[in-house]
Amino acid sequence: MSERLQTVPTPEGEYFDSGRFAGLSFLLGLVAVVALVLCVVGAVLNPHQFSYSWLFAFAFFFTLCAGCFFWTIVHHATDAEWSVVVRRQLENLGALLTVLALLFVPILLLRHHLFAWMDIPRGVEESLDTKRAYLNWPFFLVRAVVFLGFFLLAALALRRLSVRQDSDGNPWFTIGMRKVSFISLPMFALCLTFGAFDWFMSLNYRWFSTMFGVYIFAGAAGSSMSLLVLVITALRQAGYLKDVVTVEHYHIMGKWMLAFCVFWAYIGFGQYMLIWYANIPEETQFFITRNTQSWWVLSMLLVIGRFFIAFPILLMRSIKKHPHQLSIVAGWILCMQMLDIYLIVLPALHGTGFRPSIWDLLSLIAIGATLGFVYLRLVPRTSLFPVRDPRLIESLQTVN
Amino acid sequence: MIKTPYGHKVYAMAAEYQSAAALYEAAKRVRDAGFRRWDVYSAFPIHGMDEAMGLGKSWLSGWVLFGGISGLLTAALVEFGPSSILYPVDVHGKPTNFFTVPAFFPIMFELTVLFAAFAAFFAWQGMNRLPRWNHPMFNWERFSRVTNDGFFLAIEARDPRFTETGVRQLLEETGGQHITIVHED
Repeated sequence: MSERLQTVPTPEGEYFDSGRFAGLSFLLGLVAVVALVLCVVGAVLNPHQFSYSWLFAFAFFFTLCAGCFFWTIVHHATDAEWSVVVRRQLENLGALLTVLALLFVPILLLRHHLFAWMDIPRGVEESLDTKRAYLNWPFFLVRAVVFLGFFLLAALALRRLSVRQDSDGNPWFTIGMRKVSFISLPMFALCLTFGAFDWFMSLNYRWFSTMFGVYIFAGAAGSSMSLLVLVITALRQAGYLKDVVTVEHYHIMGKWMLAFCVFWAYIGFGQYMLIWYANIPEETQFFITRNTQSWWVLSMLLVIGRFFIAFPILLMRSIKKHPHQLSIVAGWILCMQMLDIYLIVLPALHGTGFRPSIWDLLSLIAIGATLGFVYLRLVPRTSLFPVRDPRLIESLQTVN
Repeated sequence: MIKTPYGHKVYAMAAEYQSAAALYEAAKRVRDAGFRRWDVYSAFPIHGMDEAMGLGKSWLSGWVLFGGISGLLTAALVEFGPSSILYPVDVHGKPTNFFTVPAFFPIMFELTVLFAAFAAFFAWQGMNRLPRWNHPMFNWERFSRVTNDGFFLAIEARDPRFTETGVRQLLEETGGQHITIVHED
């Protein structure tokens, strides 16, 4: 019973005019090519530093896209109404996981620089030998293929079914996507958790934390919701989705950002406090590196910026209902997510303190521009929202 | 104070509506007529009714924030007070100054939530003037159906715009049935 006047969108949907942004697309493509070429130079000149920089950039964008995939499957599994209008963008961002699977190849090639456990022979270190059943190269490779393969196939399948529904509106597609999502939810949890163990936690094979997978997930879910806010705002700025996404949708996205701001702090603190309190050397080493020397400053910035600044701001309803103000907060959270990932990956290399490198920046630009370029190619192919989704009208009239 | 010919104090003039949708439309009319002291009654929350009644933002959230901050400060006081100032004890070699704060966070979090929940509950009671023994609306027999299938709207006599003829006319125009005067006691 909303007082909002709703014009039902035409079944043709709303299409992104790629011609208007040909310049941006070309620029992104050019930057991506140049940066990727420079990255190859980096991989040759300074492979040790470069491999960590690349892993950092990969991890940042991987958590964002995996988070968008997560929101898509949650949408289907819970039969959500409000998120129908933003779902196509979640699907597009999730489909970028295919590109990320390709960009994972350099990590496999540079594995000897990243993962010390691969080069230590059996019998040298007992704490490693007890983990050999899990930490060995063939199994690592199989897992990477399974994890990335799952993300890639499930994200593409969901996008494909959703796009096919645009043409005939058959509700069976909704049922089909729900089934895919039911299977995907536990698979997502396993793949993200063990992916986090493999690619980030095993940078230091002596360290372990059972909460690490959830920690990565908490950051991924909150920051991908922030990314969605930014993408939707950019599309609205360009004149699209004006009558489709309303302040009510922003309010809900803002609430999710708030929820995962708290959840990230809860998990991050839970992980920290248990290790701090128990004070066992093999567990504390991770935090000792990150809480001493110049890393301490960045760790404090993360705690304050990601939670103590973002939380009270996101508490305010007026900001959640204000697209531009919410976008500023979303941008801030993305920066904090980048810092979070940086603090997970780079201290494993520079144990003595913060040492910024040009390859950090270049890797970030290379992967970011590549994904941006592909995204601009994906968006015009379909309507900007699922035009014949059975829940579209309810979604348009969302009030909360 | 308006009284009936028999000397009863008048609480409100009330009407019954056929459906939630009819009540919703009536609420918009009453809101637009400029009444301030009135309410609608139904067995379930009606979506969008806040807006239809022109209620605006509830300030319950302000009380909850106050409760939450009180809880946080209370926890800080009862933890740092004894452990850092009154009787510092070395536990596991942990510091006793500010940097012992990770051990104190769970209690701070819990008292924040507890006090915020208390504030929400008691402020909600206070803002709704609860608990109370009785409500004048129960003097109307038909009103007992409000927990079943009745939809009611009542405009209180203490509203400055209240006139017997004017309110009756408004309720009739909005499709209200069984329009009646409800006694105060």
